[in-house]
This record gives sequence, C-alpha cells and structure tokens, in this order.
Amino acid sequence: MNPLYHVGRYSQLMYRCFSKPQRIGVFLKQMIKEIDRLGVSSLFITLIVSLFMGAVMTVQTQNNIENPILPDYTVGLVTRDTLLLEFCSMVLCLFLSGNIGSNIASQIGTMRISEQIDAMDIMGVNSANYIILPKIAAVVFYVPILVVFSMFTGMFGGYLISVFTDIITTSKFIYGIQYWFIEWYVYYSLIKAAVFAFIIASVSAYWGYYVRGGTLEVGKASTRAVVSCSVLILLADMILTQLLLL
Amino acid sequence: MIEVRDVSKSFVSDERVLKHISTEFHSGKINQIIGQSGSGKTVLLKCIVGLHIPDSGDILYDGRSFTAMTKKEKMQLCSEIGMLFQGSALFDSLTILENVMFPMKMFSDKNDKEQQSRARFCLERVGLNDVFDMYPSELSGGMQKRAAIARAISLNPKYLFCDEPNSGLDPLSAIKIDELIVELTKEFQMTTIINTHDLNSVLSVGEQIVFIHKGEKAWEGPKEKLFVSNCSELNDFIFASEMFQKFRTNLVSEQAGHS
Repeated sequence: MNPLYHVGRYSQLMYRCFSKPQRIGVFLKQMIKEIDRLGVSSLFITLIVSLFMGAVMTVQTQNNIENPILPDYTVGLVTRDTLLLEFCSMVLCLFLSGNIGSNIASQIGTMRISEQIDAMDIMGVNSANYIILPKIAAVVFYVPILVVFSMFTGMFGGYLISVFTDIITTSKFIYGIQYWFIEWYVYYSLIKAAVFAFIIASVSAYWGYYVRGGTLEVGKASTRAVVSCSVLILLADMILTQLLLL
Repeated sequence: MIEVRDVSKSFVSDERVLKHISTEFHSGKINQIIGQSGSGKTVLLKCIVGLHIPDSGDILYDGRSFTAMTKKEKMQLCSEIGMLFQGSALFDSLTILENVMFPMKMFSDKNDKEQQSRARFCLERVGLNDVFDMYPSELSGGMQKRAAIARAISLNPKYLFCDEPNSGLDPLSAIKIDELIVELTKEFQMTTIINTHDLNSVLSVGEQIVFIHKGEKAWEGPKEKLFVSNCSELNDFIFASEMFQKFRTNLVSEQAGHS
C-alpha cells in the first residue's frame, strides 16, 4: 500500500493522540500501569542482552585489534564507546521493538477487533488519547532508564570477561573504560533512546489501532509493527548520528 | 425519537452498503432492525451511533441533526447513548465494577464513592450481585452481556443501541437478556434500537420492526403485521425455517376460517 497513505493516517492518529487528556488523574494512573506492564517487564531481557553485548564486545575487540602500537586498555575504551554510542541505545531498542512493540500492537489490535475501541468512541472517549498516549509517555520515560541500566550492565559484562579470561587484565580494562570519557556520549545515547522509544510505541500503536478483521490480522499487525519499528529505528539512528555527533 | 433521513453508505468498493434508508425509531419502544447477515444492519446501526459517517443523509436525535452538531454537542450526545455490542466489548484489563464505572470516571463529576455506589446499583439491577471484582474473562457470555448492559445504563442514557444482544447465548439466557432490555427501556423511557436476526427475539420483545434487504429498507411496520406482509423478501427471510412455514400455514387457515 502507498507509504504516503500510512504517513497521513499515522499523522492523523498522532494528532488525535496528542490532545489534552480528558481526565489527568486517569491518564497518570494509566501511565503508571503501562510503566509497570511494558517497562518493568523489559528489565530482565535488557540486563541479559546488555551483559552478553558487553562481554562479546570485549572479546571481539581484543581479537581484532591485536596490534603492538595500540595499548591494551584500548579494549576497555572501545567497548565503552561502542556500548554508549550504539549498542545500548540502538541495538537494545531493536530488541525492545520486538518485546514492547509487538505487545502494544497486539494489545491494541485485540481491543479493536473485540470492539472495545468502538465502545470508547461511542462513549465519547478519545480512544487514541486514552489508549495510546499513556503507552507513549510510559515507554519514552522508561526506555532511557533501561538504557542507563544497559550501559552499566554492558560494561559489567566486559569486566566479567576480564576477570574470568586472560585476554585482558582487569586493571587495564577498568583503566580503558575510564580513559578519555566524553560525557556527551551518554546524553547522545539517552536522546536517541527517547526518540527510538517514541517510534516503538507510536508505530506499534498505529498498526494495532487500525487492525481490521480477526486474530490473524492482529498477528500480522504485530509482525508489521516490529518490522516497521526496526527499519525506522535504523533510519532515525542514521539521522540522529548526523545531527548530534558530526 | 431518532429519525434516519435518506442515509447512504459505501466503503472502499463502489457498491453501496446502505441505499437511501429513511425511517423513524420511537422513544419508549423496542425498535428492531432485522435482516439477513450482510444486509447492512450493523452498518446502519454504526451510522446511527456515529461510528461510521454516512456518505449522504442525516440522523436526527430528537430533532438534533447529527451531521450539523459541533464537537461539544456530539460529546453531549455521546453521554446520552448507551450501546451493547455483539461481543459485549467489556474492557479486559478492568474488573466488572471498573468497567461499569468507566463512563462515569470519564464524564461524571461524581466522586469515587458515588461512582461505585451507582455502578453497584446498575450491576444489581441487571442481576449481577457478586461479580464486582471479577474480570470479564471470568464470566459466562450471558453475564458479560448483563455487565455490558449495566455499563450502557450507568449514565442514564436516553438512547440504547443493542447489536445482536442474544447472539451466542442459549435460548434461556437470550430470553432473559431480551426481557432485561424491555424492562430497562420502559423504566428509563429510552429509545431502544435492537439489531437482530433472531426471530424469537422479534416475536417476544419487538414492537416496531424495520427490515433491511441488500442495503435497502424493504419493509417497516409493527410486529403484528410482520407475518401478513406482501413483501416477498421479508417472507423469504421469516419463513425460511420449517417451524415458521407451519406457523404461516396455520395463520392462513385461521384467517380463511374467520372470513
């Protein structure tokens, strides 16, 4: 189908979504529920993924920079910067688009096919605002926090490699991750995480909200949500890198 | 009273799902829209409640034109509408009590205690006394319908819409749901429109009937005239089953006997 059609319909949905909530108290309660449902439930997968990302990054870096000119602590430095610049934001958000994105698309899609959204519309409730806005707010709030956890856990993964293998000493790894630290990389990563989080929540909600048909279509919407989110995250990553780093 | 004036509706394909339908639904009465599956009943009902926007024509709620309404007026009208969906459409993530409180939470100025009290009253009115803290998935189909009715009446609506209220229910539960809708219609003097293809429901509770065939209004009138109409499409629809064919034979012989 015409991509412009989807862009137009997505914009209309976001316009409806970003209106003032009918009841602020109800909105805040919904947001807290969503933080618990979507964010907290993603903490475990975040920690596991980040731990292995850091560990693998350390091993790979050591294997690929065996050069007498480069000091040993380069492994820690490269691991840290790679984690901060790309892995903890972009790669983690690609994982989360599978976890959170499919969850949002299937939940809203099920509400659509079981006429729960129609019921809200008939009551005069702005269904886009009531259902989608708390999810976007929760995910945009919580994903950067997950990214902070990911940064620490990733570096801890690298540290474990230095402890349990002999490819680098612990002291050199720690020296490397402290060497020439650029604070802006952390902010850069958090800004990217917030943008990716918005993409995950809003695009998945879009696919779920416009489901037509039955349970099969809900499954298809969930798949489309994950694929669209992944592509858009990579695109946004390229644009943000150009804007914020270069 | 709700007036439907010359309403037409088509979707992506050119074929019209509704073709120039005009009719009236009276307050305090059980108005029923009947017709075969795919005839356009649900689309008509969704046009009336505003879920679909008609291509042409107008809907008047007690003289108020739906198409000419401002956003604020539409919001006001929404608070006067209660709807029972075919699949109940209760919110999965909320308990039954929270479901019934939901419209009040969004629109009423009552405090939490008053909302709870009203929700409990509505649930007790439909015969659900001990399911307040249960989730919709824990209830039977009939109980879900009752809970959906309780939610529909929580804001004292002037208009009640029911889309196939007894589909998927056993005959006894279906009769109870029909009776409940009749009682509430009389009690609150609502304008009730029921979408159905269940003839038992038509015979037991229907008062004013509109028959839709292939998107057109083929017949309308009181229930008493349903079995003696000259509309061939209506007769094909009503007398499709053997039981109703026998019923017609008896009716014709009775009439011949009288004359």
